[in-house]
Amino acid sequence: MSFNTQGLYTILAAMIPTIFTGLAVCVMFSANQFNLAGEGSVMLGGFVSALVAIYLPMATGLHPVVSVLLGGLACGVIMLIPAVLKVKLGASEMVTSLMMNYIVMFIILHYLNFNFADRSKGATQSFPFESTALIPQMVEGNSKLSWGFVVALLFVVIVALFMYRTKWGYAIRMIGINQPFSKYSGMKVGATIILSQVIGGILSGIGGGIEVLGRYNTFLWRELPGYGWTGITIAILAKNNPIFVPFAAFFIAYLDKGCQLMSTYSDVPSEMIDIIQASIFLFFAAEQFLAKYRQKIVVKSTQLDLARRSEAATSKERGKA
Amino acid sequence: MFEQLFSMIFKADFLFAVIRITAPILFAALGAVIAEKAGVVNIGLEGIMMISALFGVLFSFWTQSWVVGVIGAMIIGVLLGLLMGFFALKLKTDIILAGIAINMLGGGGTIFLLYMFTGMRGNTGSLVSPNILIPVVNIPLIKNIPILGEIISGHSVLTYIAFLFVFLMWVLLYKTSLGLNIRAVGENPNAASSVGVSVLRIKYIAIALSGAMAGLGGAFMSMYYSQGWNSGMVAGRGFIALAAQAMGRGEPVGAMLSSLLFGLAQALRTKVSGLQGVSSYLVSLIPYVVTVLGLVLYAISTIKKVKKHKDQEVKE
Repeated sequence: MSFNTQGLYTILAAMIPTIFTGLAVCVMFSANQFNLAGEGSVMLGGFVSALVAIYLPMATGLHPVVSVLLGGLACGVIMLIPAVLKVKLGASEMVTSLMMNYIVMFIILHYLNFNFADRSKGATQSFPFESTALIPQMVEGNSKLSWGFVVALLFVVIVALFMYRTKWGYAIRMIGINQPFSKYSGMKVGATIILSQVIGGILSGIGGGIEVLGRYNTFLWRELPGYGWTGITIAILAKNNPIFVPFAAFFIAYLDKGCQLMSTYSDVPSEMIDIIQASIFLFFAAEQFLAKYRQKIVVKSTQLDLARRSEAATSKERGKA
Repeated sequence: MFEQLFSMIFKADFLFAVIRITAPILFAALGAVIAEKAGVVNIGLEGIMMISALFGVLFSFWTQSWVVGVIGAMIIGVLLGLLMGFFALKLKTDIILAGIAINMLGGGGTIFLLYMFTGMRGNTGSLVSPNILIPVVNIPLIKNIPILGEIISGHSVLTYIAFLFVFLMWVLLYKTSLGLNIRAVGENPNAASSVGVSVLRIKYIAIALSGAMAGLGGAFMSMYYSQGWNSGMVAGRGFIALAAQAMGRGEPVGAMLSSLLFGLAQALRTKVSGLQGVSSYLVSLIPYVVTVLGLVLYAISTIKKVKKHKDQEVKE
């Protein structure tokens, strides 16, 4: 198949939510917080943004911005639960955040079904968004590549600057590397742990909001969208470095598109992506993968280096003699 | 409405349903218990359940024997546990990430594997016939006792095994040298290693056993509970099991009690969703909210205990 730009646009469009969840996971995992509520946050962010987009009329430029920010804020608040429970009571943030995903999902489904459903439609969905709230598309066609993509890239820069150029970012990374050290050197460990998870929530929520307002014109998610888990893969591929997140997101979106095409043109189911992703994921996260090989290379180059030096030394001595 | 509800709950068939729903969660929770005792967080229970559930159906279909299916599912569980162990212990992947990867395999990978083996998409529909499902046992004598018999008798073989395993797990952990080693490795690996216990070997054993439990849970799901495999079948039970482990303070009996609580909540959900004016979604929340509350209460009680201990030390 020849290269086509429309295909590229769809891949870029698919990166929008996963860049955000990837960034969120980067921040949380950097502080060693295995908060897995990215899933729930994306859905909640999308839902809150959708509600603002439907029920709060506003000016064109302002509407999507406010919707998305409120979506992000809601998730930031929700993330306080696992974060504060971890810091104050020592409850595992992993278990609480996993439970949060389901709690958030069922609450959203309840309100979507009983309070906000558009009964004129066959499927359960909300009323359509105000046209002022939709995030404009960057290109013509069905690729759904909205300006949200640019916002996502902007956030990559912001999060990278935050993590590597601010006091708080430094504290987050330091706590991940060595928590006792951070504590003894006077960092506010508890506050930083909470901060990292709240930021993670806000980022995922914004991602969900942008995805909903940029791709659809009504809220129709009836299950967790899966971007939270993809975000973890992306953060692992990026080694928790925000700058690498877009590249990792592109790689995963590209693989995903490839698997979809493969299932269209051949008999292989598109779910093969999960096997490929899991394998890449495992080997990338493995610190000791090919460790012996790496060791060999290091030993070999050192030996060469030493040999060369001793050769140089002997030739020098000969020259003197 | 509440009268209706109460008349529903205090019936034998409701309690029967509670036990039936509890069993798979209990298997996985026991898996979480033994892994946690050895200091390993097995977050891959969900994925292991999915994959072994699929292979349970496939093995029993190929051999037309449910016993082979159950054992096969268990072996697949062990292999996946060892795979996680290999990546976590040998290649130094973070164990949580290894678990997440296993869950990925369980999510979409199973759909792919099913297609590769049978050409079917999404569920095993036509593969399943009654003779490859786990049979139901009517316990003689007990089944004749009026209400108790209705509740306790007539479950699948694996349901009884699940509750039996609570006892066996307790014996393993507290009455055998292997159990002592497992707990020692979990509490203080350096101390264990200094007295000659192979920490690595113990961790491998614990995670393999954990996989075996999740494998049995998976077999229960596909070969009895939902009578066939489908892609959304496990639906977070592996995660709930992790929570049950945490809420049950990491002990087999505690895990059983909290699994029963989940079973109760889910059985309630199926009952209530038929009633007028009750949102099934909000009822579905109960087990998850209960978990978070349970974790909070547990954490508070631990903190209090530690405080008391410290105060006593100060006094002395």
